[in-house]
Amino acid sequence: MQPIKWLVDFIDVRLGVKDLFTRELQGYLLPRNVNVWYTLGAVLMALFSLQILTGILLLMFYVPDSEKAFASVQYIVNDVPYGWLFRMLHAIGANVIVIALLMHMLSVLFMGSYKGRREFTWLTGFIIFNLTMGLCLTGYLLPWSQLSFWATTVATDAAGAIPVVGDYLVEFLRGGSTVGNQTLGRFFALHVVGMPLVLLGLIGVHLFCVKRRGISSPPFGTGYRISEELPFFEHEKHPGGIPFFPNYFVKDAAVICFFLAFMLAIIFYAPGMFFPEAAFQPADPFLTPPHIKPEWYFLWAYQTLKIFPSEIIGLGVQGAFMTFLALLPFIDRGPERRPAKRPLFVTCYVLGILLFVAISIWGHYS
Amino acid sequence: MIRSLCCMFVLVIAACWSVPATLLAADDTVCIQCHGGLDGRLAAPVAEWRTSIHAANSISCHDCHGGDPTDFAMAMSPERGFIGVPEYTEVPDFCGRCHVGVAAEYKAGAHGKAIEKGGAQCVVCHGNHSVQRASLSLINEESCSRCHPYERAALIKLSLVETDTIVKGVEQDIDRLYRLGFAVDEMKGSLFNQRNRFHSIFHEVDVERVRQETAGVQSELGKISKQVAAIDSTLGERKLWGSVVIGLFILVGVIFLLVRKAYEEEEKG
Repeated sequence: MQPIKWLVDFIDVRLGVKDLFTRELQGYLLPRNVNVWYTLGAVLMALFSLQILTGILLLMFYVPDSEKAFASVQYIVNDVPYGWLFRMLHAIGANVIVIALLMHMLSVLFMGSYKGRREFTWLTGFIIFNLTMGLCLTGYLLPWSQLSFWATTVATDAAGAIPVVGDYLVEFLRGGSTVGNQTLGRFFALHVVGMPLVLLGLIGVHLFCVKRRGISSPPFGTGYRISEELPFFEHEKHPGGIPFFPNYFVKDAAVICFFLAFMLAIIFYAPGMFFPEAAFQPADPFLTPPHIKPEWYFLWAYQTLKIFPSEIIGLGVQGAFMTFLALLPFIDRGPERRPAKRPLFVTCYVLGILLFVAISIWGHYS
Repeated sequence: MIRSLCCMFVLVIAACWSVPATLLAADDTVCIQCHGGLDGRLAAPVAEWRTSIHAANSISCHDCHGGDPTDFAMAMSPERGFIGVPEYTEVPDFCGRCHVGVAAEYKAGAHGKAIEKGGAQCVVCHGNHSVQRASLSLINEESCSRCHPYERAALIKLSLVETDTIVKGVEQDIDRLYRLGFAVDEMKGSLFNQRNRFHSIFHEVDVERVRQETAGVQSELGKISKQVAAIDSTLGERKLWGSVVIGLFILVGVIFLLVRKAYEEEEKG
């Protein structure tokens, strides 16, 4: 223990880390009625860290060339020691991240945590969600399988429905008229450098917003109070609250452990859950596989495009819905956060979730 | 100028009209159109053919019988290669134009050698227009007993069915590993070779030779099965260690929750 104590003291004398730790972690007080849903932010940070780690390991062997990409993934899975594990953690981890993100967003919506001058927190979180979807889309192409190739072809093709600029946009996304080596190159660059850099920056801004404005209290119990609409900045404090470290940190750690156990359970007991047969066939631009479907989290968008008589209407509806969601804190200005006192919102919330599930199931079986 | 344009137009129309036989849909030939509209014996082949493996693979009348499937008048003209119905002894060569390997195996077997004395040829067992995908069910007492006692055929079928079951099992195993992302190309290639070797004895009627060959195929399939078993063993180990890690994560998670519970009591106090 002596060398560790010496090292901590060495750093502390120079950077004052002990004081920082006491002030920012032990002195960071959370509301006394904070619930389990508040752990999802920490879960997401852990899962994103795992994506970066496994991504770096995959990057050591992956070759971003349409002639070699599929073989390089085969090599990783079959020949690289524990390569199969890194690949599964990365691919299935992406799906678990989407699940955690949806849970995080839905809990924030239900508890009205976007209210009380937290528009920036919501907005940065919403962009993080969309960026994650972008990371999923760009990462989907990299294995260069039949699934990758055709799912990307269908996804990029949808942009062509936009009037005037549609065709240019498709060509811009693909780097040519069809999905090919040039598409793989730009998706690879975006997936491993561009988007992660922006994502890291946005996570930083999001955390800053949470910390600076102060964490919101759950709108339940006797301690609930409506936050006033003040014309000046005020940090929401929780006097008499519980310290983040170690009191709440252990709950974060517990939920992180359960999420990791859930992810590993899929890897070891249902590894094919997110991999249809086309995911194991190399891309063939001359052979369209039957029943090609996007990942489960894009099924709602895929089916929406099919419901409407023209793709442009479908795109318009999707755009309107996403814009509404992004601007929700600016639209829903009422100070009330208790779900029982917001019947209209809760009804829309439940119907929205049911609609999302129903359209996704419809998309899966259509 | 006008004349040359007219000539070009006529040439284009003529070119479009004389569609090459290979581009025709299998059931869109003049053979089908004419025979399909007839009654009785001359119409029967059309209905039978529609149920066949040939129809499923777009092999149409003219592919076997020759002739011109695009021209009503010349459809059955020998000038356009029409063969018509072959003689009994000509059938193996008739089918063997496509099924080259099978024809050679048949000719080398007892059935092929006895054809001049009325030995069974292709259509005796497989049927003609309603031909189905070849399977071991073609060897059955009812069919074989038409010409000879069934006992020997039954022994041959026993060996073939046993091997066929193993082939199908290995095929399923390889497919299962493929769906898990394993590189199975080598095993697939090996299985392909053994399946072909196995199919090559389907027209053999020497019981001992069938037994020897199926034993050889089974031995080679056994090697593939060993590779599959080795991968399955690795998968089992992974699952075991995975279960241990999952259990550890759950245990650590529960411990953290218990610690949190202790903090909660402390916070209340």
